[in-house]
Amino acid sequence: MKPDFDPRENPCRPRHFKPAPCGPLPAEGPAKQTLETSRTRLVLLGALFCLAFAAIGLRLVDVTVLKDQGPRFARAHLRPHLDHARADILDRNGVKLATTLETPSLFANPKLVQGAAEAAAKLAAVLPGLDRQDLEAALSNKERSFVWIKRNLTPEQQFGVNRLGIPGLFFQTEQRRLYPQGSLTAHVVGFADVDNNGLQGVERGLDDELKTGDGPVTLSIDLRLQYILKEEVTRQIESFSAKGGMGMIADVETGEILAMVSLPDFDPNDRAAVDSDATFNRATLGTYEMGSVFKIFNTAMALDSHVTTLNGGYDASHPLQVGRFTIHDDHAKNRWLSVPEIFIYSSNIGSARMAVDAGIDRQRDFLGRLGLLRAPSLELPEIGEPHYPRDWRLVNTMTIAFGHGMSVSPLQMVTGVSAVVNGGILHRATLLRHPDGYRPEGVRVMSEQTSDDMRRLLRLVVEKGTGKFAAAPGYLVGGKTGTAEKVDGKGYAHKELLSSFVAAFPMNQPRYVIMVSIDEPHPNGHSAGEATGGWVAAPAVSRIVQRMAPIEGIPPVDEDSPEIRRSLVVQSAETPGRKFAAN
Amino acid sequence: MNGTLRLSTVLWLAVIAVVGYGMFQVKYRVMQLEDQLGRVNRSIDADRDALRVLGAEWSYLNQPQRLDQLRQRYLTLVPVQRAQLGTLDQIPFRPGEQGIAPEAKPSRPQASPVALPGGASLASAPSGGTR
Repeated sequence: MKPDFDPRENPCRPRHFKPAPCGPLPAEGPAKQTLETSRTRLVLLGALFCLAFAAIGLRLVDVTVLKDQGPRFARAHLRPHLDHARADILDRNGVKLATTLETPSLFANPKLVQGAAEAAAKLAAVLPGLDRQDLEAALSNKERSFVWIKRNLTPEQQFGVNRLGIPGLFFQTEQRRLYPQGSLTAHVVGFADVDNNGLQGVERGLDDELKTGDGPVTLSIDLRLQYILKEEVTRQIESFSAKGGMGMIADVETGEILAMVSLPDFDPNDRAAVDSDATFNRATLGTYEMGSVFKIFNTAMALDSHVTTLNGGYDASHPLQVGRFTIHDDHAKNRWLSVPEIFIYSSNIGSARMAVDAGIDRQRDFLGRLGLLRAPSLELPEIGEPHYPRDWRLVNTMTIAFGHGMSVSPLQMVTGVSAVVNGGILHRATLLRHPDGYRPEGVRVMSEQTSDDMRRLLRLVVEKGTGKFAAAPGYLVGGKTGTAEKVDGKGYAHKELLSSFVAAFPMNQPRYVIMVSIDEPHPNGHSAGEATGGWVAAPAVSRIVQRMAPIEGIPPVDEDSPEIRRSLVVQSAETPGRKFAAN
Repeated sequence: MNGTLRLSTVLWLAVIAVVGYGMFQVKYRVMQLEDQLGRVNRSIDADRDALRVLGAEWSYLNQPQRLDQLRQRYLTLVPVQRAQLGTLDQIPFRPGEQGIAPEAKPSRPQASPVALPGGASLASAPSGGTR
């Protein structure tokens, strides 16, 4: 038998090498032991290498075949972008109301600046608003190595500075919240601080949504209407030397607020100059005794609970004595008045009697259904709590009937009146735009019949009653005046008024509710010594309607056409057959 | 046997050379593409920044108040008045064109001839057809 291994047979054996002939393998002893050990080590080592190669092979298959990692590096170069910065706020037509920009801020290292005087002169020429002497002093201070020159430059300014080519100047990018529309939407949008935390308005109310930056937030505000509203409210404030004012336009079908202004206002871009009176949102945070506009709710309550009808009426021939209070009429007729007359002449006595007829519980229940007894919800943190008597007695019921003894915010007023005119459905007010054609579900708070009656009554106020100045030819405006005496410490101040007008149009099928309130107006030369809602706020509503109707695509109608007469006429019980709506 | 050995060695060397060349080609191409990608991404970034700035500026320049002032300074346009709006029914027909008016049709079926383009007239057209 051929031995397993014969060194002499090895072809690679050097020719001169003649190994000593090997004896048979030692059966026992240290030599065999050594051989066995080597063999084991060899096998182990071999196995190890095999494993290693197998691992590499598997990994190769894994990397090249199983995992397709091709495009992974493609995004590597995109820096974390401004798209992840605080989201933009847009109006309903996509106009930017708030945006975040990366702006360059210029700083200098004076140690590297040569020729401070020359550099200062050049910089002052490019950056207006910088003082040359100050700049020169800052740049020649060689002790420091960091001096801010100017924060938040415009792109043109940055280009100008770069073109100067001065050594030792550097830019640092900073994120800056910008409000391109300035004070126009100040109270709605609010503002954020330098660290991009919302402090007021939608910026605060929707802070989380804006921070996660998932696309822009689109508000229900229409900037065009906002401008019209602000201009008209401003005009009334100036014309009647008033302290302030507020205005709101809302969509009655959806609860969207299309415009909301509170004056005085402020420029959110220049927050150093802002004072607390200007930041106060009169439309949502302020709660006021609304005065006669509350008769809208009172009359709706009486009609809806069938306490009376449009043919009913109450005696308003003399003032009403309740305890130590006496209730007077401002436009006293001193006779029996029908329900429509009570409404259009704004009779406090008649309204109080109507409320007493309905009772405390019905009144409280009805106002509660309209959301007037709890703080409304809106995408703003500035929400005022309504104030009403905890202990609701008959005298409260009587005063609340004509809007005293209970204060609500204009936002609640607008929401409530929307429900009164839109067929009786209460919608939650919102500042966020609904998708086109979306009609949110509401809560029915009164019958359709009541709503229909109220439309006729509101129209009548403008045609025949206290709100004649709100008429806008062709646009079927309806509404109610309100003049509330403001409370000052002890009691009512007869000279300090809150004059309001709440309107809806077009009255045969209302789409918009408009509210204008002027705070502490004073009679002017053209107002016959009056500063009431009908004189102060109603004309603004008329102009707002005439300006917004073409924008909103509402065609003017013939107010005397039989169809419209029929839809808005009121039959009066006082003089049977006589139509109030007839001219 | 020596010959075949050399042949396979040469073959392998050739394969290595080709693969090596190919690998470097791919590598350089990838580097080039990555450079290009970086440039494109940077320009996308720059464009996005520019878009944001321009968007803000557009909104700023379109402030209703500013547009109103510009309008007053340079244009004679005023907001639409109620008298400027109307419907089609309010537009009267030209004299002699009342044939289309609904109330005019039954009362005067044989209206006076209406001139048509080409000299023909409504009244003479049927007689022309029967001839």
